[in-house]
Amino acid sequence: MKLFSVSALALGAALAGSVAFADTIMAEKGKAVNMVLLPKFLGILPFDQANRGAEEAHKELGNTGTLLYTGPTPENSVAGQIEILTTATSQGQNVVMLSNNAGDQIAPAAEAAQAAGTKVVTWDSPIPSGKGESLFVAQVDFGSIGTVMADMALSIIGPDGGEFAVLSATPDAANQNAWIAAMVEALKDPKYAKIKLVDTVYGDDQSEVSYNRALALVDKYPDLKLIMAPTTVGIQAAAKAMQDEGLCDKVKVSGLGLPAEMVSYTLNGCAPEFALWSFVDLGYLTYYTSYLLATGALKGEVGETFNAGRMGDFTIEEDPGRAGAKRVLMGPFTVYTKDNVEAAAK
Amino acid sequence: MFDRIPAQTLRLLILLAVFAGVVLFFAAVIDGYLNARLFNRISTSVAIIALIATGQAFVVLTRNIDLSVGSVVGCVAYFVGGLLALWPGMPPLAVALLAVLIGAGFGAVNGFLVARFGLPSIIVTLATLAIFRSILVQSSDGASITTDSLPAWVPGFAQANAFTLGELQLRWMVVVTLVVVLAAHLFLTRLRAGRRFFAIGSNPDAARFAGIDAARTVFLAFVISGALAGLAGFMFLSRFGNITVVAGLGFELKSVGAVVVGGVNIFGGSGNVIGVLVGAALIDLIDTSLVRWELVSEFWREAVLGLLILAAVVADALLSRRLMARRRRAAAGAAAAAPAIGEGRT
Repeated sequence: MKLFSVSALALGAALAGSVAFADTIMAEKGKAVNMVLLPKFLGILPFDQANRGAEEAHKELGNTGTLLYTGPTPENSVAGQIEILTTATSQGQNVVMLSNNAGDQIAPAAEAAQAAGTKVVTWDSPIPSGKGESLFVAQVDFGSIGTVMADMALSIIGPDGGEFAVLSATPDAANQNAWIAAMVEALKDPKYAKIKLVDTVYGDDQSEVSYNRALALVDKYPDLKLIMAPTTVGIQAAAKAMQDEGLCDKVKVSGLGLPAEMVSYTLNGCAPEFALWSFVDLGYLTYYTSYLLATGALKGEVGETFNAGRMGDFTIEEDPGRAGAKRVLMGPFTVYTKDNVEAAAK
Repeated sequence: MFDRIPAQTLRLLILLAVFAGVVLFFAAVIDGYLNARLFNRISTSVAIIALIATGQAFVVLTRNIDLSVGSVVGCVAYFVGGLLALWPGMPPLAVALLAVLIGAGFGAVNGFLVARFGLPSIIVTLATLAIFRSILVQSSDGASITTDSLPAWVPGFAQANAFTLGELQLRWMVVVTLVVVLAAHLFLTRLRAGRRFFAIGSNPDAARFAGIDAARTVFLAFVISGALAGLAGFMFLSRFGNITVVAGLGFELKSVGAVVVGGVNIFGGSGNVIGVLVGAALIDLIDTSLVRWELVSEFWREAVLGLLILAAVVADALLSRRLMARRRRAAAGAAAAAPAIGEGRT
């Protein structure tokens, strides 16, 4: 029974808030705030779940403004995001909630939005330089994702050690790159000395590319024990590839995945362990944070503590991964195994 | 000695020589490269793209281009997957037929716009590329098709071997593709209806004077392209199981690449679908092998792939041109020699 949640950091953040004797800022219901939820692109499950969370908060707060869920189509993600952000600015929307897929290319558009009075709150994936961003609502501490991935790798590969490789999304995805860097950092600890990261490849968050990359990894490294995919598309494509080729006994798959998509691979042993956080909660918390910022209740300064409905209190802090940027840390995340994946998949 | 070989066969032989050269090159730089697994990987992965490229070849032969195929593959994979989740009892043959019909329907839209109104196909299909993808994104509502929701025979089909020889496996989906390519080849080279595609492409005015209905032929080319993309969509569903809205993204470029590398003249009128099959295999071979080549980092892979495709096309063009020139000289020489012999007799 290996069901652990990394909640220490969230707890720490909550404690820090109360130590500062700051009053918890509460949301005033029923104000009119026009909000735009802008995912990396439309049409995949995690972002739809985030939208569900945002809609829940929208009703709860009785916002008389609009909540618009809009995003680019997948083939047009980067240019489309910049375009939608610019359009939202000229429409005079109050807040754009952005899961950034455009790296720092979007920073000028975000700065222009801020100058015109449209707040930009990032979630899921931040603007790497932090320019033009009011706040980043982080799903989990990026450093702790690195540790959890290293722990899962160790637990799957076992004490005798072995080789593993990373199958990521796109080469310029800010969140995946940060997590992989955090994992490389975590692996320096002597307890991981026997597990060796041999390669990082990119499946572009597409099933067929990820599937073929996973097979190429197996061909390239005959002794490979594990493929670590910190992307929901990559992990299930890799698991299917290993299952199809009858390689599950030899090469396991782990990473970040959705229980609904991974349940069969976890039960048959192809992907014995993987982790994820709740995207519904992430959307809900992002909405609360953005609403508070737009109504002026929250200034967006480090040390402010606010209440986010059913999720409790959160405090704005420095983002340890990005100098000068600020974040709200959600946490925790759950590690799924055959013991808990079925319940979560429903 | 080459003089008796038809030009198309010559092109094909050159392409096969390039293919063999690439295999030998990678065999020299990658350990344990040449084995049955390589054949299994490339053949199964080529099965899908070769179908799409064969359809694309029909369109390119008529001096047009179909950029919407990637979106058609995605739509068909998604819709057929959705229908199978609702009615898992549908007979396999009916499902495949349905996929072909849906694809043909999309193709008919392109064909109608291009043939009926004489619009440039590059603009029409660029628009439908975006429109079809948007239809998919809108109707999916963020839900993805998962392997679990499909009847077992669907993912089973992609895994089923027609026959095995030791480690060497020939999957049924590869057999289906080979049959389709062969049928297309016979149709184009042996039947009057097939020759019309060449006639329209090489000289539309002459073709019209000869009584060929140009609009009908172009329309048919797009319907065939859509239908084969539909069949490819069914195979995509079967092979990858988990279908999101990004399914099939980028297949338009891959298919055009295969067609061009395969020796079909991009300005229409000449080409050979067997060459297209080899072209598709060559691109896939290079793509898969580069991942395994230590020397090329992920960031350079696309560029190297582009360069190699360019090199293949240039080499092919130069070699064919030189051989053609030599043949012309030989023909001119023979023509000059002939009267001399005649004179001697008188």
